Amino acid sequence: MTKPKAPDAPKPKVPGVPKPKAPSPEAKIFDVDTRFQSMARREGGVSREKALEKAQEKIEEIKPQFDEWLDVELDKLIALIERAQDGRAEKNWVSQAVFRSRQLHHAAATLGVELLAFIACSLREMLELVEDGGECNMESVRCHIDALMLARQASYRRLRPDQVPELTEGLRQVAKRIAS
Amino acid sequence: MTTNPSINLKDLIFLIADPSSYISMLVHSMLRGFGSNKILEVRNSTALLHTLTGQKIDILICDAHLPPHGGLPLTRAIRGKKDNEHRTIPILIMSDDSRESTVKRARDAGANMVIAKPISPASLYDRLSWVAFNPRKFVDTTTYFGPDRRFKIEGYPGGEGRRKGDKEIEVAAEAGPTLAQDDIDNLFSAVQTGQD
Repeated sequence: MTKPKAPDAPKPKVPGVPKPKAPSPEAKIFDVDTRFQSMARREGGVSREKALEKAQEKIEEIKPQFDEWLDVELDKLIALIERAQDGRAEKNWVSQAVFRSRQLHHAAATLGVELLAFIACSLREMLELVEDGGECNMESVRCHIDALMLARQASYRRLRPDQVPELTEGLRQVAKRIAS
Repeated sequence: MTTNPSINLKDLIFLIADPSSYISMLVHSMLRGFGSNKILEVRNSTALLHTLTGQKIDILICDAHLPPHGGLPLTRAIRGKKDNEHRTIPILIMSDDSRESTVKRARDAGANMVIAKPISPASLYDRLSWVAFNPRKFVDTTTYFGPDRRFKIEGYPGGEGRRKGDKEIEVAAEAGPTLAQDDIDNLFSAVQTGQD
């Protein structure tokens, strides 16, 4: 799920008016060859194919820690939402919830846990609207939390969003209502 | 897309700046897989500035939402401080918001590249390779210090190249929140004196 693209501002077309970004007479342009660039170009590097293979192996090594991290993160997110529902929320609870749902989305997507990534992304986008001043519908937030709880279960962990169409379509509808 | 030769990351010092320990660990793992052996991590911009004032870094990979300042103001601060030895290091910004306006803001802050989150090993490798093998000139004006913001049409991973009508030298107006030189100096000096 991606953010809706903001419409590009119309480009001004005023005949006879010079373009605003004219070259600056005092601009200095110079070459920079950083240590990163000179060293990264040394002989003996890792080929792209080998590097990607090794990187995937390294990611596999830390995958087992994902379950543990996920449990902790979800518990923190749930606690945050519950405090908000009870009126005991911290002042910046929405920002905290955005941060937690964002990192859930990113980690799950990188590790290929697709359903969880989809739900976390939807929650994140909804909360970002709230952060930007939109109305907070706690029922919709709760709906996403319930979906996350379901998706973390072993039987759902390997599923893709298209394998649970009722769930994903339901969340899409909820998100659509909030966005409109 | 053109294929660059292999990159050799051994002994290069990477700094990953991301508020999430697990995301940071994922990027760290990818870099290890690419052959990197010197990787530092920080969780916020205060720690980032501490690190930059305390030791030599070769490349910064920074989250756009790094608290409390944010990755783009930090990039502008690093580029803007004249006596900063890290002024020209490659800076890659990680962001889940890949809208054109966001990418332009990162570019105008002085970032070398934007990597879309969630990050894949391929996207990270390709951007590191691009930075290594396609060095860009630096531009220094009253409103901007950083890599030349024009990309060549050939090979830019996942992006658009220079348009036919582009000017010889593009000097854009400042975009987004701007730190004055005093603010930049204060940001660094506060860290150096332990006030931040």
